Amino acid sequence: MKKNLNRMAALLMTVACVSSLAACGSSTTAETSKAADATTEAASTAAGTEAAAPAEKSELAGQSITLLNSKGEIQTALEELAGTFTEETGINLEVLACGAGEVPYTKVTSMYSSGTAPTMSILDTTDVIALGAEYGLDLTDQDWNQYCDSMTTKIDGKVYSFPFCVEGRGIIYSKKSIEDALGKDFDPASINSLDSFKAICEELRAAGMENPVVLSKEDWSLGAHQLGYIYDTYDGTTAGADKIMAALKDGSQKVEDYDRFNQFMDTMDVILEYNYNKEDPLGAIYDEDPIHLVEGDAAFWPNGNWAWPNLETAGAETSDEYGFIPFVLGNDSSDIANTSMQASPTKQLMVDAKQSTEEQQKAALEFINWLVNSESGQKGLVEKLALIPACSNNTVAPKDPLSRDIVAKMASGNTYSSSFVAPSDHWSVVGAVMQKYVAGQTDRAGAASEIDAYWQSQK
Amino acid sequence: MNSLGRTTGDKIKSFLMFALPGTFVFVCVVIIPFLYGFYLTFTDWNGVAAVKNLVGFDNYKALAQDKDFWNSMGLTLKYVVLSVILVNAFGFLFAYFLSGRIKKGQNVFRAGFFTPNLIGGVVLGFIWQFVFSQLLVKFGKSLGIAFFSKSWLSDPTKAFWALVIVTVWQLSGYMMLIYIAGFTGLSEDVLEAASIDGAYGWSKMRHITLPLMVPSFVICIFLTLSRAFMVYDINLTLTGGEPYGSTRLVAMHVYEKAFTARQYGIGQAEAVFLFFVVAIISGLQVYIGKKQEVEA
Repeated sequence: MKKNLNRMAALLMTVACVSSLAACGSSTTAETSKAADATTEAASTAAGTEAAAPAEKSELAGQSITLLNSKGEIQTALEELAGTFTEETGINLEVLACGAGEVPYTKVTSMYSSGTAPTMSILDTTDVIALGAEYGLDLTDQDWNQYCDSMTTKIDGKVYSFPFCVEGRGIIYSKKSIEDALGKDFDPASINSLDSFKAICEELRAAGMENPVVLSKEDWSLGAHQLGYIYDTYDGTTAGADKIMAALKDGSQKVEDYDRFNQFMDTMDVILEYNYNKEDPLGAIYDEDPIHLVEGDAAFWPNGNWAWPNLETAGAETSDEYGFIPFVLGNDSSDIANTSMQASPTKQLMVDAKQSTEEQQKAALEFINWLVNSESGQKGLVEKLALIPACSNNTVAPKDPLSRDIVAKMASGNTYSSSFVAPSDHWSVVGAVMQKYVAGQTDRAGAASEIDAYWQSQK
Repeated sequence: MNSLGRTTGDKIKSFLMFALPGTFVFVCVVIIPFLYGFYLTFTDWNGVAAVKNLVGFDNYKALAQDKDFWNSMGLTLKYVVLSVILVNAFGFLFAYFLSGRIKKGQNVFRAGFFTPNLIGGVVLGFIWQFVFSQLLVKFGKSLGIAFFSKSWLSDPTKAFWALVIVTVWQLSGYMMLIYIAGFTGLSEDVLEAASIDGAYGWSKMRHITLPLMVPSFVICIFLTLSRAFMVYDINLTLTGGEPYGSTRLVAMHVYEKAFTARQYGIGQAEAVFLFFVVAIISGLQVYIGKKQEVEA
């Protein structure tokens, strides 16, 4: 018996050793490639190189750079794209993942503190505003600015980040679900007020689709994406969102008296009435939410185009007709909230100016140029990563229907570009308040006073 | 014969030889970061800025006013008490039955109870998240058991118990091993003498076995106390603090304060406070526990 225990212990020790060795292994590779950098005498003229021609190795070949990715859903595709980039330019690009649930800001600051900052990081706009001036490379003079001037985030007039992608949110609809249930054509443009939204939900219920709206329970979704409409629709601009947030902060505007909040809660009440997860709203499972849409059990899902990979995993095809209706607020059909959906650059790519070598920085700039100008970069961004490019010179049509819908709406002027920048714990605190509301643990007045309290504590 | 440490020079030399490397590493990775962290509690650092301003005791004042911190501290105390009691009760029972009472399959059971310990807390949290929010729900719905037909993780009380259950499941096997070692070390003579004197069953357990097992209890309670106070991984992956922040234990609150709310100074002050709470409680526990020990 004792022998057995010993044997088991030995086996466990071996497993532990091997796995720790494996962990070491990866860092050794990183180090060797770093050593390789040192030996490669890189010419320093490559920074301004226009469109790296395919098959022609860059002068920076052999450099190793890292990219911290905070969009978990594109990790695999981004790794593939990095492979293509390496093949074409000879620059080694390693994509570092930011784990699910890990806050990108935390990850990047801890990497800075430990002196292992990534050469590039994909960050939220808030993070760039917090970090850009101190750690980011000034990108104001980069050529690509001409293609996306209206999309860049400027800090004191300077650009510290490349707008990596445009994202938009609203209420996703599945045309097929609706038409199958109702047996007639569905025109998304007909949903332009809360009443029309309520009417179609009722119609769907009468046709046998008991609860046509899927509401996810995640705090980032409820707090940042849904409740965020009350800031974004102030007047549809980021400046407007800043204004209303400042008013909430200094107390000159109370949440409960704010029209947009009350309109939002009205819409929320309709969504909750027709919520597919009604029975146990906080028991909703994010991975299962899209399945209801794909299988035709539900028709609507308040979310953004980042949800496409989830829909695709759930079985949706790129040829299926999915699209957005606005997150309707109130009954004025000429209101921007009802004519347009929100779409703005969300993820920003910042180049490290502090801990990377000059060659690495140049290699990073070359990666951005490659994304903007080269054919494989443009295609990769749109088709592989399924992102909507912020640069106007990229005319590759998105493959997935959600992005296609946003591009179409951007072209027809049916989007507003407000992207509110709230304090970093806004989504988590306010998300919890919304969860309480969704679960019926608090009422509208209670939620309003808690959101007020949050803004008051920000002074 | 030149024994170690006869003269001061020898003492220094042997100290340098044997203790210096360890002391050096300890100072570098424990003492210095600790003191530096303590210093940070007096600054308004946000975790990344190059400038830190000294703000005196402001962070400690903010700590005192941070209602959420005290809520999560209260919840953590409840969690610690429950898990310490349950983990040790189960660990002790398993050990009791698996060191003599049950002969058949003894090793299989021991390995089985111990295995949860070998799974990392993060993975374990995800596994149980699946169990509580999907498996049990399907099970409950198909059998019509209302208790299971809603996800346990969407109700604050049940989500809290889910945390306790998973902790007990994870830790009791480890404690079982320590208790088994304790049982193995019990002197046969004493037990036999007790039997001859007429002590059986409960009275033998109460008056002979338990007092002799006190050292094991001291170790096990210490381990469970400190692990339960510091728990983060299971909390993060099983409930993530949800529903609506009601299961956010104190370690998670500190983390969110420092990194999500970017109030590093306050978060650090809360961490220091937590350190003292844990140090005092486990110190007291070991001190009192040691006094209970008896010589066989």
